[in-house]
Amino acid sequence: MKKQISLALAGAMALSLAACGGSASTATSTPEAASAAESTAASTEAAADGDVLDQAAAAAFSQDVTLTMWGAEEDQDLLREISDKFIEKYGNYGGKITINLGAQSEKEAKDTVLTDPTAAADVFAFADDQLNELVKAGALQEVQLNADDVKSRNTPASVDAATVDGKLYAYPLTADNGYFMFYDKSFFTEDDVKSLDTMMEKAAAAGKKVSMDVANGWYLYSFYAGAGLNLGLADDGVNTVCNWNEAPGADVTQAVIDICKNPGFISLKDEEFTGKLKDGTLVAGVNGTWRANDAAEAWGDNYAACKLPTYTLNGEQVQMASFSGFKLIGVNPHSANVGAAMLLADFVTNEENEELRFKERAQGPSNTNALAAASSPALTAVVDQSEYANLQRVGGNFWASAETLGSICVNGNPDGKDTQTLVDDAVAGITAPVTQ
Amino acid sequence: MPGEKNFFQTFGKAFVKGDIFTKVSFLVWGLGYIGHGQLMKALLVTLVEGLGLYFLAFYGAPNLAKFGTLGTVKMEMVFDVTTMKNVVNNYDNSFEILLMSMISFVVIAALIAAAMMVVTSNYQLQKIRAAGKKTNSFLQDINVYLNEKFYVTLLTLPVLGVVVFTIVPLFILIAVAFTNYDQQHMPPNDLFTWVGLTNFFTLFGGGGMTSTFGYSFAKVLTWTLVWAFFATFTTFFGGILLAMFINDQKTKCPKLWRTLFMVTIAVPQFVTLLLVRNFFSNNGIFNTMMANAGVTDFLHNIGLLDKGLSYIPFLTQPSWAMFTIIMINIWIGVPYQMLISTGVLMNIPADMIEAARIDGANPVQMFFRIKLPYLLSVQGPSLVTDFVRNVNNFNVIYLLTQDVFVTNNQQLAQSNAKEIDLLVTWLFRLTQEYYNYKMAAVLGIMVFIVCAVFTVVCFHFINKKEATFS
Amino acid sequence: MSTTTINDAAVQKQLRQGRVKKTIFSIIRHLILALLAFIWLVPIAWLLLTSFSTDKGINFTRFVPEGFTLWNYTSIMTAPDSVAQFPRWFMNTLVVACFNCVISTCFVLMVAYAISCCRFKGRRLLQNLSVTVNLFPGVLAMIAVYFVLKYMNLTNSYAGLIMVYAGSSGLGYLICKGFFDTVPVSLREAAKLDGASEARIFFQIVIPMSRPILVYTIINSFLMPWTDFVMAKMILNSGVSTDWTVAIGLYNMLQKALINSYFSRFCAGGVLVAIPISILFVIMQKFYVEGITSGAAKG
Repeated sequence: MKKQISLALAGAMALSLAACGGSASTATSTPEAASAAESTAASTEAAADGDVLDQAAAAAFSQDVTLTMWGAEEDQDLLREISDKFIEKYGNYGGKITINLGAQSEKEAKDTVLTDPTAAADVFAFADDQLNELVKAGALQEVQLNADDVKSRNTPASVDAATVDGKLYAYPLTADNGYFMFYDKSFFTEDDVKSLDTMMEKAAAAGKKVSMDVANGWYLYSFYAGAGLNLGLADDGVNTVCNWNEAPGADVTQAVIDICKNPGFISLKDEEFTGKLKDGTLVAGVNGTWRANDAAEAWGDNYAACKLPTYTLNGEQVQMASFSGFKLIGVNPHSANVGAAMLLADFVTNEENEELRFKERAQGPSNTNALAAASSPALTAVVDQSEYANLQRVGGNFWASAETLGSICVNGNPDGKDTQTLVDDAVAGITAPVTQ
Repeated sequence: MPGEKNFFQTFGKAFVKGDIFTKVSFLVWGLGYIGHGQLMKALLVTLVEGLGLYFLAFYGAPNLAKFGTLGTVKMEMVFDVTTMKNVVNNYDNSFEILLMSMISFVVIAALIAAAMMVVTSNYQLQKIRAAGKKTNSFLQDINVYLNEKFYVTLLTLPVLGVVVFTIVPLFILIAVAFTNYDQQHMPPNDLFTWVGLTNFFTLFGGGGMTSTFGYSFAKVLTWTLVWAFFATFTTFFGGILLAMFINDQKTKCPKLWRTLFMVTIAVPQFVTLLLVRNFFSNNGIFNTMMANAGVTDFLHNIGLLDKGLSYIPFLTQPSWAMFTIIMINIWIGVPYQMLISTGVLMNIPADMIEAARIDGANPVQMFFRIKLPYLLSVQGPSLVTDFVRNVNNFNVIYLLTQDVFVTNNQQLAQSNAKEIDLLVTWLFRLTQEYYNYKMAAVLGIMVFIVCAVFTVVCFHFINKKEATFS
Repeated sequence: MSTTTINDAAVQKQLRQGRVKKTIFSIIRHLILALLAFIWLVPIAWLLLTSFSTDKGINFTRFVPEGFTLWNYTSIMTAPDSVAQFPRWFMNTLVVACFNCVISTCFVLMVAYAISCCRFKGRRLLQNLSVTVNLFPGVLAMIAVYFVLKYMNLTNSYAGLIMVYAGSSGLGYLICKGFFDTVPVSLREAAKLDGASEARIFFQIVIPMSRPILVYTIINSFLMPWTDFVMAKMILNSGVSTDWTVAIGLYNMLQKALINSYFSRFCAGGVLVAIPISILFVIMQKFYVEGITSGAAKG
């Protein structure tokens, strides 16, 4: 397959040669390059991985290279530190390396990148739910230097999260981007936090609240998936399949509405979470590791985390499921220095730097060794929850409809519609074909 | 004016009656001027023509050739391990083709128009020479551009700016409405192509059973018009009333009061709007204050607020949000209008007021018989433009509701609209979050049509009224 | 005699009553004004109070913060971090604002004068065209403007941003034209008879007479870069925070991940931007009002 493309490409290049003479040297080198790519891919298994990277670095950094890297605002200092180490490591191949850092939250990386992929950073961090759309838009470079090494050093789940159609498109960075339950140890016992009902009852009795952002497809999924309903990507990779409108979908919706009406419950957006933690309203809440520091600050020694509780569905206790989440580092194929960018992405996600990331930013590593060495309450909760967590693979039409369904539940079903109608409407929107 | 000929007639006559230099100057602009003894000018115009033709030949033509299909060759990339770079084929970028073609069209139109002007001007020179008079020297020609043709000097740069940064982009976006440019067809990786009127059918309810664009369009358009109406008139009358209240002789220290209200103008709008959004958020400070003051419970009791809600959904439920947005807009817009009304009211001819006072008019009569008609006659046209501006009032709605308001209506959600969306905020989110450029472009054209119809009708009405007055 | 005194007393009583009534009305009038002013100032007060708050995020429960500090101001002014680069933003915006101010003001005045005072073929057409173009929503053309700039290699540069702001400024000539319409024709005619060129009339007669509208135009074009964030965000898209303008930077502080640690600094930034603008307004208020009203009167 690759050969065919490269042959076609060589042909195209030859044709274009007539038009623009400047590209002669690249054009002639194409076929060899393609075969070289294959041979390196083959030899990776045999040769030590260091050799490949060294060769690559020698080729990439023989001349001056400027790279731009986007990461979260909070990670900027860490990224600067890693970049400096990178420059130190690869700076002796003759070329000068410059790395510019930009701030771009991982959650919204896709929005910025897709507006104009050619203007986006060479290397950028993003959350794994955006992988599909980024690959479809041709905004991610397949990992071609040391893919096998990347696959072997990271947890299988994180590798899956970075893979589309069997090809690895990104470097796993963290493995804790999912959600779980934070709670105040002095308020709840370990038995309490096993059931949402118990938690809400206790909280309501004390005038406190348990929070979760129900008006958000990401969290809402928890209830439906917990009840065994299905949500996933269709075979075409664009549309969504969803059966939330089958039994017991309507009952789940009723259960969610009831939970939202419970005086011990409050639906909070992520940005409202911290404020309510600090003012003492919350005694527990569903959120992710990015709020771990806030929770630890608010509750001090009483800070604890655990897997999600069970909720009551038709009188039975059902374990809440969740989306597992990963942060990934992607390389922009439009980068002028793709090879150098790959080396940087690889460096940022190696064992040493993921350990550093855990130390400085408390983000759970995707690297198997680094993960084994890391430990924190939040990370333990992520691992406990991972049994009930699924990879996040949904099409673009999921979010708006699910958000609306959640919002209806939070607002107590203001139009008083039948719960079956609610899920039917939502599923119609979720599964609607993406406009062609 | 019967004697006046239009541009084309003048050109036709010049071309037919012109001598060989005049005729040739249509193709090579400089030749005519050389023939008519104006070397400097010949050099300049040829240079301009040369630049234009150079652009067309090297940038315009290759893209114009693909204008019919908007490109056929998809991007392919191969990673080259020896150079560590990606090798890219000579692909077509549909957007670039569209963009360059549009610029080329503008350049071609400009070149043709300029060529016609050159011929006309050469014919003038020819006539002058035929009459045995001397033609202008280069310096004299320059002088003309500071005198009779001063407007040319004044307008060239601004018009160029508007063409490049407003008109060409508009042409492109209008063209996009007839293509399938969306997330599935995004350059540079993918190609998009012409689809005719499909997108318009989608907007008006066609385009497959799952499309809810027609439904959403009707809803959003209605709210847009309602909003524009309220936003325009509440701030207009609010501003007038406040201005009169402050400027009344019985009010002490009018300047102090005016300054107090104007503080809100001094803080940039996006700061105040983002601030107010957090002020009114569901779990925000204002809701806490309302709950403490017992207002939330009161609303529960009189049934204005659903029992299940522990807060007032100022910006999160449709009817509340609409109310809050209009209120916040009053808060923002009234100080401006007060400032303007203050100025206009001061300009009311003193004798008119005096005469009314002598006739024994009371303040209310004074307001409805003199001040209001005067204000309306002065500000009538600007009310129309204000209305149009409010139809396009992106900032207020976007900054207040982005990331905050979630629609409870699945049909709206399916077409990515919200109850409180204006057409412009809807189209903005379509481009920024869903990359649905084709539908955004269609909506843009709809906004234009709405505004154009409204403006034409209003000005027709205003002009008619003025005509009956005078 | 007695009747007169009675009358006198009655009159005096009436007068007193009138005065009392008047004072009551006056008090009510000022109370209403005070109430309105209070409503108008509450959010501004919140902005100010929060900007001095010891709490870095939003405090949902207290209007007046628990503790006061100048830290928010000193932090954004002297200790820029990767999020807040306020001094840099301020300088960037100032540069863009100054250039835009000069170019836009020139453009607006030029177009307004040409349309108002010069008589030429196509004038009507030009006016109609400008009105038509103004009816299209500006946000629609944005993505295309971005790509136009990109092909000129001007994205991520202040030159590009200035060109976008100034480039379409010619369309906003209406108010200025309204003002020029009020300049007596006889004045220009007289100057022309004296042998002054159109250019001289423009520079030496009309411009000096147009102080109010000049001030109005200058303020408006100067403020543009301080308030616009949509266009700026699109064009300055490198993601490097030192490149931003104040508006993008402050807007960015309120994104979900940051709002809890930057809200009070956002407020401090807002206050710092508001200060120069307020000063500008107070100084120019008279001209501003004069400009806008005289322009609107004929607009």
